[in-house]
Amino acid sequence: MRKYIVLLSIVLTTSVLAYITTYLEAIGLVGLDTRYLAKLFLTLAYNPLARELTVLSPEAVTSIVWDFRGIDTFYETVVFYMAIIAALAIYRGVGYPSIRSEKGLSIIVKVVTKLLIPINIAIAVSVAAHGHLTPGGGFQAGAALAVISVLLAVVFSASSFARVGVSLSKAIALRTVGLLAIAAVVFVPVVFNALTGVQAYLMQNYVKVDSEFAFPTHIQSQLISGTLIWFNLAEFLAVSFGFFVVFMLLSLREDVVREQLGEEHGH
Amino acid sequence: MRNMDTSFIERFLIVLTLYNLLVTAAISLYGIVARPSITKKIISLTILGDSLNVLAILIGFRVFSVPPVLLKLDANPDELLNLAYSAVDPLPQALVLTAIVIGLAVNLFLIFLALQVYRLYGTLDSRKIKELRG
Repeated sequence: MRKYIVLLSIVLTTSVLAYITTYLEAIGLVGLDTRYLAKLFLTLAYNPLARELTVLSPEAVTSIVWDFRGIDTFYETVVFYMAIIAALAIYRGVGYPSIRSEKGLSIIVKVVTKLLIPINIAIAVSVAAHGHLTPGGGFQAGAALAVISVLLAVVFSASSFARVGVSLSKAIALRTVGLLAIAAVVFVPVVFNALTGVQAYLMQNYVKVDSEFAFPTHIQSQLISGTLIWFNLAEFLAVSFGFFVVFMLLSLREDVVREQLGEEHGH
Repeated sequence: MRNMDTSFIERFLIVLTLYNLLVTAAISLYGIVARPSITKKIISLTILGDSLNVLAILIGFRVFSVPPVLLKLDANPDELLNLAYSAVDPLPQALVLTAIVIGLAVNLFLIFLALQVYRLYGTLDSRKIKELRG
């Protein structure tokens, strides 16, 4: 009974507060106009007329993520990287067991999952590769691909990772490759500057006022938006295999982990 | 251009959503602070993160709008301006996008920590863990 009174009072208070706020127009024109900054981003995301300011990506969100506020995204990628390193540090010394005869779920679920996994991979790659054109990008594609690791662990049991050729060390290596690829794309303009003497800046994507350096924006008339497609693909690798590592560790059987972590962990 | 006037009920619903998100955030804060179980603390933390993400998206939302994606590559300046004046704010979306992935990574790390706590202490009740430390 007490629970319902609390619930009812919360609902009533919010509704009355919302009604009063609307009636007094205390918040003003909610949701009618966007800020000047948003208009700036929207007009400059793909604007061949503003050559020194544009990103040449029709998708404004990806332009912000990897160009306008690129350093934010690098920092957040580092946070992601460190979180997974911390998870790995807790599980240090735990190896993945060799193949055991574990059964998993029923044949119906297994067949449906087998049909779903190729579709899932196709969608993930498509979301990553079209990140600069349509909503999507490396983060979303990585999260989409990471679903496969959960499906494998739940439907086929944890030993199925070895059967499809994914091991813990391989996943860690691929994740590191993704991060190194991001770093490589960041440093390309600097290396170009050192080699040719042409003015170029760290993380530069397209021409700037005093720099004519630009990543190729088209491949055979297909728009690739300079660095954006490479960042998206590299982030796709880093995020998806980062999640693979974590979900692989989480799907380990508790008795196996305790056995390997040592005496003091079995309470 | 569509009619930019919003009715009272539309404005009321937007404000109600705003308040509901704040209440959800407040309840999840209570869950983080007051619940003794570490599992429930983690669940509350995910709810807090998600409600604040939706709040950020709501800040960038506008009533009559299109997604912030340019649909044709040979757009003339008028069409570009039209997008700027009719699309939602892309900046909160970009920040929330990264925040979701980071939140997921941090939550996974917390789950690993909770697992380790359970292995070492045999319980996830934070009151009991405090006693056991001494």
